Amino acid sequence: MAQRVIRMSELSLFALFTEFHWLPADYWDLSIPVYLYLAVVAGGAYLTGASACYIRARREAGPCCLENEIARWGFMLSVAAAAGAGLAVLSHLAVIYRAILFPIYLTNFGSWITIGTWILVGLSVFAVVCLVLQLFGENAAADDGASLFPRAIVARLGVLDTLDELVDRVRPPMNVFAGLHVVGSLLALATIYTGFELAIVETVPLWNEPVLVPALFLISGVAAGIGLTLGVTLLFEREIGPVYGGYATVVGVLSGISLVLVGYGWQALATSNSPAAAASYVHLTTGSLYLGSLLVVVGFLLPLVAGLAIGIGALTGRVSGTVERVGGPVLIGSFGLLVIGGLALRIVLLLAAEQAPVVVVG
Amino acid sequence: MGEQWMFYFDPNRCIGCHACSISCKQRHDRDAEADDWRTVTHLSSGEYPDFQELPISMSCMHCHDAPCEKVCPPNAIEKREEDGIVTVDRDRCIGCHYCGWACPYGAPTYGDDGLMSKCNMCLGEGPGGGHGQPEKQKAEDGGAKPSCVDNCVGEAIKAGPQSEVMAEASQAAAKRFENEAYNARVIVEPVDENAEAAAEIREEGEEAADWLNG
Repeated sequence: MAQRVIRMSELSLFALFTEFHWLPADYWDLSIPVYLYLAVVAGGAYLTGASACYIRARREAGPCCLENEIARWGFMLSVAAAAGAGLAVLSHLAVIYRAILFPIYLTNFGSWITIGTWILVGLSVFAVVCLVLQLFGENAAADDGASLFPRAIVARLGVLDTLDELVDRVRPPMNVFAGLHVVGSLLALATIYTGFELAIVETVPLWNEPVLVPALFLISGVAAGIGLTLGVTLLFEREIGPVYGGYATVVGVLSGISLVLVGYGWQALATSNSPAAAASYVHLTTGSLYLGSLLVVVGFLLPLVAGLAIGIGALTGRVSGTVERVGGPVLIGSFGLLVIGGLALRIVLLLAAEQAPVVVVG
Repeated sequence: MGEQWMFYFDPNRCIGCHACSISCKQRHDRDAEADDWRTVTHLSSGEYPDFQELPISMSCMHCHDAPCEKVCPPNAIEKREEDGIVTVDRDRCIGCHYCGWACPYGAPTYGDDGLMSKCNMCLGEGPGGGHGQPEKQKAEDGGAKPSCVDNCVGEAIKAGPQSEVMAEASQAAAKRFENEAYNARVIVEPVDENAEAAAEIREEGEEAADWLNG
């Protein structure tokens, strides 16, 4: 890669000696933003599932309750997103088997990739265990809902009864189950590492924000994970009750915080004295990346408005007939936009990155 | 820990002939199409007749704080205790490119196999050639001079243990290095603002290069 170099004997020479280029594509493969995104979405979906289990236990809700559906979809989407993140990052690597043998090869525990690998693998294991416990056993057999479709697949294989029996036999007691969720939730929050993977790159001012970028990645990703779970649940369960309203409100709040963080970062970038930051700002305000930036803003703004308006209404039981009719499609649409906006955020952050040029002091 | 080896560069003596980068490719049997382990960038400013050009030759600086080593997940990159040279064990590299993100100088390169390779100060030859090699020796002790140093017509690039390179640098360059310029990763001479002096040096160098090229 040709390195950009500038000479700063006089500030006026700066522009003359500065030549910014896009970094080579192989550094910023699309698989990287997908990986960075899906890892946190997996965390958000897991948190949704675990919290639904907690709410169900507190309300002592029986079978066929909405919490069951939310929990199962949450764990299922968590497993799917974690698997997607894993496949995305593996597709970027040159020697895949060394990454698969990570306990042997990834020995630098000061590297966020190593730390992140253990977090993602740990979260995947917890999500799979929770999903299996939700999908099989006596309670699941007595339950109903679209999220139980894997049972039909297992039934076709002829091992459903065996699996139900096995899961009931190994099902942990409630306190162990709660402990499982606590550790899993901590791993879900630890997906903040995806932000640190970028934030420690000192030569790229767009990323080198050790608080802002990790916080933005975590909050926007968790919002997308919850939104995705709610959207899928709502596709099959059209009722927007208080539980659903509570979750929608949380998505609205998290989207709002994400929007504030984006605005803060944008302001910092616009006023930065770093030439690489200025170049990144130009990228983000022109051409196709400008459309990406707009998508990010819309992707957070709509769920903020829809989540809070409909969510608080449903939570307090003050939903009008019209809102009840259009609320479902509006929430599904805005949560869908949130999911797309979260991915767009990572893509534009990677594509607009500019490395600080080396300075030749005159 | 042995003494840190490092590069020295004098932009006033560089004529921008690329002998350093070409000889590097030859020494390490690199494809002509492959990314350079050592690059020569020509910075220009102004328009004729006030046009100025400044060639800058750069490679891995074997940084004392090696950011690439810190981020490498499989510990494939090693900042050697004995001579401070940064090497890569390609049998551990997973090709994640994280070192490429972290390096301020764009030193890591990636071939068709996706594995990282970069300058090893001619500790060995070829990609990954530096890994596992014995301590770097000076030319007078039988060690190989880095090919870029050996082939630089203007003596713009030097390499050696830090104390020796510092002794050869001008007072201004040494002082700047001590003041942490370039994060104390490389010793660079200040650009001589006296255009005539610089032009003279380059003219001498260009004549030498013409003579070498026949």
